[in-house]
Amino acid sequence: MKKLIAMMLAGAMLFAATGCSSDNGGSTEDAVAKYGSDTLKLYNWGEYMGENLISDFEKEFGVKVIVEYFDSNEMMYTKLQGGDSYDVLVPSDYMIERLISEGMLQELDLSKIPNIANLAEGVKNLPYDPDNTYSVPYFWGNVGIVYNHNNVDPADVEAEGWNILKDTKYAGHIYMYDSERDAFMTAFKALGYSMNTENEDEIQAAYEWLLEMNNTMEPVYVTDEVIDGMANGNKDIAVMYSGDAAYVLDTNEDMSYWMPTEGTNLWSDAMVIPANAENPALAHEFINYVLSYDASYGNSEYVGYASSNQEVLDTLSGEGGYYENNEAYLPRSGYEKDEVFHDNQTLKKILSELWIKVKASKA
Amino acid sequence: MKQFRNMVYPYVAWIAVMIVAPMLMIVLYAFTTAGNDVTTIRFTLDNFARFFSDQVFLDVLWRSLFIAVITTIICVLVGYPIAYAIAQRSEKSNMFWVLVITMPTWINMMVRTYAWVGILQDGGLINSLLGPFGIGPFKMMYTTFAVVLGMVYNFIPFMILQIHTSLTKMDKSYLEAAADLGANKVQSFLRVTLPLSLPGVLSGITLVFLPAVSSFFIPKLLGGGQYVLIGNVIETQFLTSGDWNFGSAISLIMAVIIMISMYITRKVDTDPAARGKED
Repeated sequence: MKKLIAMMLAGAMLFAATGCSSDNGGSTEDAVAKYGSDTLKLYNWGEYMGENLISDFEKEFGVKVIVEYFDSNEMMYTKLQGGDSYDVLVPSDYMIERLISEGMLQELDLSKIPNIANLAEGVKNLPYDPDNTYSVPYFWGNVGIVYNHNNVDPADVEAEGWNILKDTKYAGHIYMYDSERDAFMTAFKALGYSMNTENEDEIQAAYEWLLEMNNTMEPVYVTDEVIDGMANGNKDIAVMYSGDAAYVLDTNEDMSYWMPTEGTNLWSDAMVIPANAENPALAHEFINYVLSYDASYGNSEYVGYASSNQEVLDTLSGEGGYYENNEAYLPRSGYEKDEVFHDNQTLKKILSELWIKVKASKA
Repeated sequence: MKQFRNMVYPYVAWIAVMIVAPMLMIVLYAFTTAGNDVTTIRFTLDNFARFFSDQVFLDVLWRSLFIAVITTIICVLVGYPIAYAIAQRSEKSNMFWVLVITMPTWINMMVRTYAWVGILQDGGLINSLLGPFGIGPFKMMYTTFAVVLGMVYNFIPFMILQIHTSLTKMDKSYLEAAADLGANKVQSFLRVTLPLSLPGVLSGITLVFLPAVSSFFIPKLLGGGQYVLIGNVIETQFLTSGDWNFGSAISLIMAVIIMISMYITRKVDTDPAARGKED
């Protein structure tokens, strides 16, 4: 009799256990049957995902996600060229343009990504991939000026725009973003040129603009360090990406954000599937998942960059939303002086060399 | 022993693949133009001409050498007394202190350097400790001071260990002989200990100077992006502008400079005059 009870108990426990696992979503076998493999290799920016994005996806679909991080598009490109294979990448606009032109991406099957219906207005019809043939936006934003409104007169920022970076009143209190792309963008825009200009005189003028800034303003050139630096109030003015700015404004209430009226860079990072991906079926599933309301909300709220899901965008920036009073969260869209950066290897080389010369020259 | 000779081949193959091949690639890149494929290779000296004809790059090179020399000098001046003090102790406490010196190197260099950002920055540890006493705040981040400090901190264990080894290897009977012949402590240090420890100092100098001259993330983290050293220029060529040819050329120039400085160091090392009176 005892034996029978024990067996029944064991059976009940076994039942409970299996019941439990099927409640939690797909199993590994299901995933292998459906996608051909249960592993997804994701190559994303560091600090770019909500806390539970990966674990929730793994649980729901019974798969394993291997995540690697890059800190620049160029680093990602170098690894990709070295033959590394990933299933999903999240490069920026100009890099996607380059990857497409070099045939390194595969076309998406949009029927497997139904959540694309929720795509935010601001990231529709982007010039590098207007019909989302290869890419689906992940985050987007612009570049602007974060400033401490206690030490910097908001009227100065609004009147001078990018030229505040050359206002010697604020010398020694400036963070400049350390990349030739963003540095030259500010100079081109301050001078009223297009940020994609190939005109030699305009490039020379921008170079001189930056040299003068370098030699009169004692700027500190940083990349991600700018986030903590401004959150701690170490400097008064910084050129920053809108999503990082949203985080800074969220942590330090002395900080404000200004999108210069001279125009700025409107950028987007989007998910793509490389041509040599080993598991494109699961990659589609992942892209669709990231676009879903819950996943995108988690990402955007946690990281501070603007969601590519219109509903999430409306909720977070709308009344009662987490970023309701945060002027950096919602990027300006439809402003004619804002531009998307284009891939141009020759120009990039020239600007990159000029930028290192600016940095290396001391007054 | 002959039967073991074949066992060398795997190592030779390893060295060929892991060390020689990448070096040859760098040389090839340095002397060619961009956009070559296997069939058409165009050789050029343009990459070198571009470097030496531009004052900005020469300034950067000069600055890098200057910082590396300063770092090395400080490492010798600070490291020698520490190594000497440790070597004077008992064998057991020697082991303990060597462990203490090497302990920081167990932690990733990047993390250690990041820690200095927290210590040095405007609202960092030092300034917030001094603040209540009305001292400061000192601007330490993004200065030469911070860069040199970061380098000395990261590289000084190599110096101390090298000097320490040569001091403990030293035959103590030389010191007894010196004392017998009437030398006082200072004299026996200057005429016995110091010359005998010079090989350790010299290999310490090599081990500190080499990483210091090519370091790129210490100046980047502690000096800010405007603190451009030659390592940063090389990094930019490979990771940002994608100009591998120019980047390789600069790397090669650096390799030649390093080889020359190693040759000079070796020369001093084998010079009997610098080694004390062994004859």
